[in-house]
Amino acid sequence: MNTFFLVIGIGLCVLVFFVLYRVVFGPGVFNRIAAISAIGTKTLIIILIMGIIYNRIDMFVDISMVYALLNFIGTLAAAKYLEIGGEKL
Amino acid sequence: MIRKTDDIIIRTVARILVPFIQIYALYVIMHGHYSPGGGFQGGVILGASIVLLLITHGLVETKKKIPEKAIALFSSMGVFIYAGIGVLCLLLFGNFLDYGKLSVILNIPPAAARAMGILGVEIGVSITVMAVMISIFTSISTAEDHSKYDKEH
Repeated sequence: MNTFFLVIGIGLCVLVFFVLYRVVFGPGVFNRIAAISAIGTKTLIIILIMGIIYNRIDMFVDISMVYALLNFIGTLAAAKYLEIGGEKL
Repeated sequence: MIRKTDDIIIRTVARILVPFIQIYALYVIMHGHYSPGGGFQGGVILGASIVLLLITHGLVETKKKIPEKAIALFSSMGVFIYAGIGVLCLLLFGNFLDYGKLSVILNIPPAAARAMGILGVEIGVSITVMAVMISIFTSISTAEDHSKYDKEH
């Protein structure tokens, strides 16, 4: 069962790099924000899979919840910043 | 960044989410001995809940809920709790932050007094971290000139 989660975790790590391409080269700022949000979601799942592999899932759930929360607030702040226009605040 | 948004979805979601974030922050502070977390992390989550309120409801509305004087008071009150517990241990003929001596005041065995002392210190840390996070955010986003934003509303 552990190998199963290990393979899924490595697969998600590889998928992060595909999304990273969209962050670096993506046309426009909105593609970049959406891609950063997607990377945050993938990181959350990777943290949970690490928790299953280390047999400490009760600890890692706390960390992943904080990560999801800060990802949400960060995406919202970036979207708000762009809505008004960078210079005017 | 600090103005009110017009989007009703974002405003409603933020308003519903803020109390749950704060409950979770209290869990992180109180449960810090057994799981990841503690005073600083819980304080950051508490600060994040107020930052969420700031970016969705604007500076003016958030100031009504948490005035800036209260933020300044909180940021020094946490340090006072931290240092106060330490000095209290000094007054009870122990070392600085020697929680075991608190058992005389709390009327519990020294091991339990240590747990309570650490919890009190973590609460102080979290209050200070929360207040400093909010004040850093407001200072950066308004460029330390709040008067301009007060006039617009």
